[in-house]
Amino acid sequence: MKIIGVILQIGFLHVFLFLGIVLKHFIPLPIPSSMLGLFLLFVALCCNLIKLEWVEQGAKWLMAELLLFFIPSAVGIVNYQQIFSLQGLGIIFLILISTMIVMGVTALTAEKVSARKKEEGH
Amino acid sequence: MIIAVFTIVTYLIYLLSKKIYKKISIAAFHPLLLAPILLIVLITITHVSANQYLQGSILLSHMLAPATVAFAVPIYKNLPTIKKYLGTIAVSITIGTLVAMISTFLLSKLIHLSDDFIVSILPRSITTPIAMEVSKEIGGLPALTTVFVIITGIAGGIVGPKVLKWLSIKTPIAKGLALGMGAHGVGTSKALEYGKQESVFSSLAMIFAALITLVWGTLLTTFI
Repeated sequence: MKIIGVILQIGFLHVFLFLGIVLKHFIPLPIPSSMLGLFLLFVALCCNLIKLEWVEQGAKWLMAELLLFFIPSAVGIVNYQQIFSLQGLGIIFLILISTMIVMGVTALTAEKVSARKKEEGH
Repeated sequence: MIIAVFTIVTYLIYLLSKKIYKKISIAAFHPLLLAPILLIVLITITHVSANQYLQGSILLSHMLAPATVAFAVPIYKNLPTIKKYLGTIAVSITIGTLVAMISTFLLSKLIHLSDDFIVSILPRSITTPIAMEVSKEIGGLPALTTVFVIITGIAGGIVGPKVLKWLSIKTPIAKGLALGMGAHGVGTSKALEYGKQESVFSSLAMIFAALITLVWGTLLTTFI
């Protein structure tokens, strides 16, 4: 029973994805239709046009299994032989270093800013 | 028919990889590394080409789009938290996206990447569907961008927890924002292992990073 509910809700989320695709035709900015769909669903929830229960289970499942949807593109890496060369090694190294810097800076900034906020609150 | 087979096989291998990773939690067995390797081995043995596989598994990769839409739900449910921490989130992610693009650009120059590779690698730290869109807009190759996004996810899932430990990051907001900013969806699924608050901040970081990178992308295309 629960599986059917999840599938129906994922179908319902596609309505917003479709609306996002339609809306994209009217907006001259490089915003992906899925992002517009996110925005439309958010507005619909805020305005009580739809109930949270109508999408909650489906959304929860999609977000919990996010890794699954990346797997096909990860297999697609074999199409890029360059990745398996010396340059590819450089790229992986680049990404590792940059990701560490990004995470470190983001975490430290967040701790600094939120600590300052707390002090101001006193 | 082919789609049904590839979808089911991919799902089963994904479940198997998650099981293995639960038993042996070392980086090399991360599901996003193990599952594709198993699948590559499998399609090589059965003489299926990578493109045939990609076409057959289209249903799964398509799900990234409704999954992006689904992020409206945690945003809606956590509206009070967002309002409370909007300043911290906005500042951290603005700096995070800038550091991501600048460090990627400088390191790319350092290892002498070609221009089309540099443009394709710039949006690597944000979630796939949006990274592909930004890549298209700034003149990159979206398929190549997907590859860099995936490598970023794997890298972030592995080094993320270590970076947080080294810097002795304590607060859930800092942990969550760093994981979502640095490694998009993969970071967010890692954040779920820390706790509910971390995962909320991580999803928020992912969405804000995507939005702010879109802004940088638009500015880049307008002024270059």
